Amino acid sequence: MGKLYDLLLQDVRFIEGLKACLNCGTCTAICPAAEFYDYQPRKIVDTLQTRDDARLEALLKSETIWYCGECMSCVTRCPRGNAPGLLITALRSLSQETGYFVESEKGRQQLAVKRTVGDWILHYGYCLYPSEINPEMHPEQGPIWEWEFKNMDAVMDRLGANYRKTGPGILRKIPQEDLDEIKKIFDETGGTERFEKIEQWSKEKAVQMGLKLEEGLNSEYFRHIYTANNNKHTKKDEG
Amino acid sequence: MHRAFLSFIDMAKKVLVIGGGIAGMTATASLAESGVHVDLLEKDDHLGGHVQRWDKLFPSLRPGKEVTDFFQNKIDDRVQVHMNVNIRDISRMDDEFILSLDNGEKIKGNAIILATGYELFDAARKEEYGYGIYDNVITSAELEDRFKTSGKITTSNGEVPARVAFIHCVGSRDEKVGNLYCSKVCCVTGVKQAIEIKELLPSAEVFCFYMDLRMFDRNFEELYFEAQQKWGINFIRGRLSECAENPDHSIVLKTEDTLTGRPLKMTVDLMVLLIGFIPSPETRRISGMLGLQSGNDGFLKPEDEHIQDNITAIPGVFISGAVKGPACIVNTVADARATVLQVAAYLKSK
Amino acid sequence: MKVEGKKKIWNDYQKEIADDSFFYVRSCVRQNFFPGSEKTFLRIFRDELHKDIYENAAHTTCSGIGYHSDVVPFETAMTMVARQFALMTESGYENFTTSCITSFGLYTEILETWNHFPEVEERIRGHLFKATGRVFSKPKNLSHASDVTFKFRKEIAEKGPYRLVNRNTGQPLKVVEHIGCHYSKMFPSKGLGGAEYPYVLVGMIEEWGGEVVDYPERRHCCGFGFRQYIVQANRGYSLACSKKKFDSMEPYKPDFILTNCPGCPMFLDRWQYALSEMEGITYGENGQGIPVLTYEELAGIILGYDPWDLGLQVHQVPVEPLLDKIGLPYDPSKKFLDKEGKSMGKPDAPGFLKFY
Repeated sequence: MGKLYDLLLQDVRFIEGLKACLNCGTCTAICPAAEFYDYQPRKIVDTLQTRDDARLEALLKSETIWYCGECMSCVTRCPRGNAPGLLITALRSLSQETGYFVESEKGRQQLAVKRTVGDWILHYGYCLYPSEINPEMHPEQGPIWEWEFKNMDAVMDRLGANYRKTGPGILRKIPQEDLDEIKKIFDETGGTERFEKIEQWSKEKAVQMGLKLEEGLNSEYFRHIYTANNNKHTKKDEG
Repeated sequence: MHRAFLSFIDMAKKVLVIGGGIAGMTATASLAESGVHVDLLEKDDHLGGHVQRWDKLFPSLRPGKEVTDFFQNKIDDRVQVHMNVNIRDISRMDDEFILSLDNGEKIKGNAIILATGYELFDAARKEEYGYGIYDNVITSAELEDRFKTSGKITTSNGEVPARVAFIHCVGSRDEKVGNLYCSKVCCVTGVKQAIEIKELLPSAEVFCFYMDLRMFDRNFEELYFEAQQKWGINFIRGRLSECAENPDHSIVLKTEDTLTGRPLKMTVDLMVLLIGFIPSPETRRISGMLGLQSGNDGFLKPEDEHIQDNITAIPGVFISGAVKGPACIVNTVADARATVLQVAAYLKSK
Repeated sequence: MKVEGKKKIWNDYQKEIADDSFFYVRSCVRQNFFPGSEKTFLRIFRDELHKDIYENAAHTTCSGIGYHSDVVPFETAMTMVARQFALMTESGYENFTTSCITSFGLYTEILETWNHFPEVEERIRGHLFKATGRVFSKPKNLSHASDVTFKFRKEIAEKGPYRLVNRNTGQPLKVVEHIGCHYSKMFPSKGLGGAEYPYVLVGMIEEWGGEVVDYPERRHCCGFGFRQYIVQANRGYSLACSKKKFDSMEPYKPDFILTNCPGCPMFLDRWQYALSEMEGITYGENGQGIPVLTYEELAGIILGYDPWDLGLQVHQVPVEPLLDKIGLPYDPSKKFLDKEGKSMGKPDAPGFLKFY
């Protein structure tokens, strides 16, 4: 067993997720990602159980591991008690720890996730925050959200929220001392390190790709990873 | 004077056979042929166990009735047959076993053959297959009933199905329902029934959804070849993940065709679940009374899986047939006859 | 379809749900997109049913969305969850109830992980103490707020004058129920009714007079997919999943969709809008779309609350046609007014979906 496989074994989700696969296909049969992408969770598990580090490295650098939507429908069905969805989480963690994630178009998107959801957790104490979900980045939210966005304080007030205020309630301002505790948790448990790694590997990749990467959500590299789709992710039609 | 076949056995000895299915009938017939007194106890009102329910047997498609009749005819008046029996208690006095029945009777014997067999997996437990919920999902046993009674295969709407799917491994090789083992005979049952469907409905499309095809015994592989080449039955390597019902009561199933690596969704008119074996409640109950050991799979454990397959840790108590796990008729008959020799050796030594 | 088969399964998957003294943790998505729902939940349970539902203002996200989009390591997520448990313990509670389904799934997954790997629990205790000085006990009872609503569905029905009946035809409304994936797909025994035929929303619909509609893609994920939505380049996946469901449920002509996860109603609502704009497709009657409700909104409708207090005005697919069917009155002129009754302007009308 190689170095990468050993690292996977340290992830408790890998232990929980892989017993032994007999390639029955019940996972792939109901996987939403398998319907729309060139993706089969069964193949990932099959590859993992070869314990072949070279194949594992290729997997960590591939688009493949980023297609899963973590719905866990596969877990309900597997007759061997495996959990492909959990294995994906272990693979994605390892891919980011090793920096391999920047080798794939979908993997590079992790910086976008980190600078939105990730940073909002530390900044606000929520994974999402109304003033950050701007209609330009989310046209699918529709004119209703556009209107809400323009009138957010008043709408929130109308609906009984405690938006940006102290005390309990919907979207309250979480006290700074609690946000400080969250930051300390991230520091203590490797969360901060993960965020830093995502930034660092992405910066290097941006240089390699000749795209400017600055802070925030507007620079070249960020816009690229947020929107780029090479259209090679779905299955080719066979006769 | 009529010399008993196994004449070294004291004719005062009696063997108690618990279970009147194939194993029990075969053992009883062999004992009777050999001149040994037998009490055969059966919980139902007929002998033959599950086999008397089957229409035609794999691999040759010969009528199952021929097999049950063969053994039934050998059960003559040397045998005391007790039907509708419920054993309440088993006790032992020296080398005599005493079975106490619900009706107050006490039946005594010097050796016990436990042949209480198996039960079929309750397909409703595999919830995502919709048995008991969707109209056009039936079990292999129910299909066999239809073959045996009317020979008419229709959907819930009374129509002839244009497309029939067989689902392998229902209740077997499945951690989710707690049965890790393979039930052995379901694959060849599926191939057999697929052929029978094609015989009845030549224009129907028939699909078998399997993980592996366990064609383990003589002429099974040839049957599989015939199913493909002569009958055009489609074999798709993918385990059924779930099915749902369309407004017209047809069934839409989701699998992956693992050989081409693509998810597959298919609408069929009739879906047949190839259900596996579970240890029967009577096997569990009576083996518990006797203090017999089970394996992790719930079936009974013999003293030695290779060389003492019918002997238990209890002297005088023997196990035969599907109490030990999924088995086909050929193996069960051989097993039951072998048990009789072990019983004879035991009785001789007493 | 034989309902008795389902009933037997529902009986097999019963779940212990506490009946009072809940420690309540909020949902990121629900607070952002359906604030009226959380408000309504507390209104019903505190004001109407006089339950003790406690919120500690120091609580935060469980980080579930961050965890499932894989930027938050498992170790961090577990410690975030441990902190929430610590707040519960300090506040003197044992019954933990979550507003979010992803949270419910994450809390369940973490508790199970700690059961299988006690050394992991010890390590997390160490992390939490080192980072915050806090200690925790694990909850005695973990539920989702829809479980609690299910538990008190009869009480809500007793207090509520409205039913899921079309007042024009007298027929029960046809309801599609959509369960969040993280409710019971990973741990079927932790969901009411299990994973295949969950009962938590069915029970509410039946109690409140509606008719449940089953359809082939009922179990299919709505497509949130976490990173599949967060990043614009991936949203096709998310949309395709919802479309799959709409196409499958359409022949059954549902009057509305009921959800228990906070993300699902957002997607099922907005993707109808996006589909209409991209392809001119609308579902439901007369281009109105199929309205999507949270269980809190539905409970509020049964109780006769003002739809604009419930937050129905911030749905993109209009809910008015459904309210008309039920007979719950509303004042259209007040739809987009603020708390003081002043105008907040109006959203633009979508290109295809009806707008009221």
